[in-house]
Amino acid sequence: MASPALLAAVGEVGEGFIHHRDSANRSCQAIPSKLFCWDWAREHIGRYATPTVQHLELVVFSVVIGFIVAFALALLAHRRRWLRTPLLIGTGILFTIPSVAFFFLLEPLAGRGRDTAIAALSIYTLQIIYRNTMVGLANVPASVKDAARGMGLTDRQILWKVELPLATPEIVTGLQIATVSTVAIATLAVFAGGGGLGTLIKSDLSFKTNLILAGGIAFLMAIAFGLILFVVQRLLTPWRRVETT
Amino acid sequence: MIGALLPQPVLASVKGAIEFIFTPQTSNVTGGKTVGGIDQVIELALKQLELTVLALALSLVIALPIGLYLGHRGSGELFATAIGNAGRAVPELALIAFMAAAIGVGVLNLMIALAVLGIPPILANTFVGIHQVDRSTVDAARGIGMTEFEILRKVELPLAIPTVMSGIRGATIAIVATATIAPLAGVLTLGDFIINKNVYGNNGVLAGAIMVALLALLLEFALSVIQRRITPDGLKLKLKTT
Amino acid sequence: MPEVEVTSESQSQSGASSVRYEAATKRYGKSTVAAVDRLTLEVPAGEICVLVGPSGCGKTTAMRMVNRTVEISEGDILIGEESVKDRDPARLRREIGYVIQQIGLFPHRTIAENIAAVPQLLGWDKDRTRARTTELLALIGLDPDLGERYPTQLSGGQQQRVGVARALAADPLVMLMDEPFGAIDPINRERLQNEFLRLQAEVRKTVLFVTHDIDEAIKMGDRIAILREGGKLAQFATPAELLMAPADEFVEDFVGADRALKRLALMRVSDIDLWEAPLAYVGQPTAEVRAKLSAPDVEVPYPLLVDSQRRPLGWLSERDLTAEVVPSKPDSPLGPLLDRDDIMRDALADLLQGEAQYAAVTDREGRIVGVLSVEIISEFLKSPAAKSEEHGAVERPHG
Repeated sequence: MASPALLAAVGEVGEGFIHHRDSANRSCQAIPSKLFCWDWAREHIGRYATPTVQHLELVVFSVVIGFIVAFALALLAHRRRWLRTPLLIGTGILFTIPSVAFFFLLEPLAGRGRDTAIAALSIYTLQIIYRNTMVGLANVPASVKDAARGMGLTDRQILWKVELPLATPEIVTGLQIATVSTVAIATLAVFAGGGGLGTLIKSDLSFKTNLILAGGIAFLMAIAFGLILFVVQRLLTPWRRVETT
Repeated sequence: MIGALLPQPVLASVKGAIEFIFTPQTSNVTGGKTVGGIDQVIELALKQLELTVLALALSLVIALPIGLYLGHRGSGELFATAIGNAGRAVPELALIAFMAAAIGVGVLNLMIALAVLGIPPILANTFVGIHQVDRSTVDAARGIGMTEFEILRKVELPLAIPTVMSGIRGATIAIVATATIAPLAGVLTLGDFIINKNVYGNNGVLAGAIMVALLALLLEFALSVIQRRITPDGLKLKLKTT
Repeated sequence: MPEVEVTSESQSQSGASSVRYEAATKRYGKSTVAAVDRLTLEVPAGEICVLVGPSGCGKTTAMRMVNRTVEISEGDILIGEESVKDRDPARLRREIGYVIQQIGLFPHRTIAENIAAVPQLLGWDKDRTRARTTELLALIGLDPDLGERYPTQLSGGQQQRVGVARALAADPLVMLMDEPFGAIDPINRERLQNEFLRLQAEVRKTVLFVTHDIDEAIKMGDRIAILREGGKLAQFATPAELLMAPADEFVEDFVGADRALKRLALMRVSDIDLWEAPLAYVGQPTAEVRAKLSAPDVEVPYPLLVDSQRRPLGWLSERDLTAEVVPSKPDSPLGPLLDRDDIMRDALADLLQGEAQYAAVTDREGRIVGVLSVEIISEFLKSPAAKSEEHGAVERPHG
């Protein structure tokens, strides 16, 4: 299921590497011990654009899908206690299996390409977000729920107006962890034919500048997402910002 | 019964993979070389296990003492949190490749690379686990005359076990996952089946994925058994009733 | 069509309803032991009924059966003339104020939003809600600026006051309060109790109040229901009745061995017939005073020196009376000086502390109205009810 556009993108980048290796700037690349070739980097930075966008797509799609499914499962399990243990174990098993394996376990079902990669990454984010959502909901003080019920809120009103708002910090933390980790793991998506920064890394494993650039972009992307979600969490929870007596 | 649910091509792939695991096959790609079979599979699995255990050990040796010390003192929270977050952000593929290029190939060198992934979760979780032990419990322990070290060993650590173990399990998952692609750095593990598809064929790829999954689950299971063993009974009771 | 008479028992003017338990029972699971066992009592509209008893006696369960946070197994509970079982639980609860011990304010909403919770559920418009919130903040004695703060920024006592305001917001027919002041420190607890009683004098809600503290029960309750283990009603009476005539040994033990003293807490000095002391005015000839002293029915054997306004200045001794006229400076100091509105228990404490046999009692202007002694109090305690205890339900001293 790899789209023609994706194959073309990978091919173009790969070609570009091979081509440039034989041309000028040989001096920097030829020195294996050189850590970072600034000139080369400046000249070839454009090559990193498309894979970065692909990488972003992989991350955003898997986090969104993972979030939707995890949230739905959490709401189900919240209401029906008997579901909790099986779901926890189930998602735990899925989480333990390395995404790399998943890329290929899913292949017979979903074929190669970006969709498989997104599916595998979604499974990864699923467990984190599910677990954090459950913990967040469990941490709502019983007295607040008691008061809400006694005041006349229906169960659904309690869920949406009291429990979920109070669970928001945990949920957003889960999103944060999931997103940061997914950015890192998505470098392996190349093995599933999913594109992303991993393709650049794999195409030239010994050229340190390339590794630093591709890896660095991934790293910075992860950190950036982490910070953004941290700020989002603060914005959504004004009552935690104030000082307590 | 499950077979009835899955479409025919899936079943065929799975069958092929299972055959690959157990019987050596003639690779129709690289001119008749024998690949697969239980011996090769076990060999690579053991290699991956060896790599994982060594890296985990190294991570524990470095991260546990720091986490315990900082957690007990209560200082360095920002440091521990930052390390934890940053550790999650490290792209595995780039890390392996870079380490291989920078410090060379081989089990020992790869161990260090994997430890970079294993240290942050252990450090952060150990810090949080120790730090979040009820202050009044620690206070009481200090009041009856325990030394700081005794407090750590007899009071804080046992109470922090669930959180600490959760960090260790997280580290293990990260390490196993990255050890899978160790072949890129010259150490042959199960990931070889996956990476070198042209040698092992589609069956090999799926076989590799299945074996990696099984290995990860096995380790997770082992760790959970260990956790259950070392969690103090009183804590188990408390966790069950909350 | 004949006019329908609204009985004053079931619905008072300010919007409160009576609450009636009719053999209400709660059983958990298949247990044959009941948590609440055929509870039957009626709380008239506008009164505070305290449910009190030892731990596990079912008092909280009994209270929660009214708003169906605990479902009734057998029997019925009626608010006004309507059974609670006929209503949808959520809608029912919006008409009942609910205050719990742990307060349970929504941490993620401001104080104002917390108070406005039920009005919002009922669909009040913004202006009406805002007006009501301001009104309530004033009623509970909180600075209106606090409305924009979050619960964590308030002290425990302030939070619980907000809890009470929240319960009152939609002008409920009935209020349920489950050990509302239990989590507060003793000093603030007393303050909150007094404030609530002051509030109740204004709003006159029907209140079901749960506590394990008999002293709080006596202080707060117009009527008290003592429950014993197994959810059985031991006695349902006014505080005075409870103290004077406990139904059985259990009630007697629960009320405490100091029943007599507790009765004194319910009375004022003015509720007793005081003795009279012979009065001596400054400058009055001592012969007149001596004549009063030797009268046959004199109750206090010492003359009390008063000024021209009948304000007591001190006690006169034999030595003082040897002069021609009554001196302006008495021989003995006045000692404890009581007001007729003082609570009897405090008056007794003053008497004992001052080591005096007699204490002068004055009215609000400071004029003498009588003399109190320990003897009067103990005589009273032995005899049947004083006048105030008949009206104990309506007006009682609260400090």
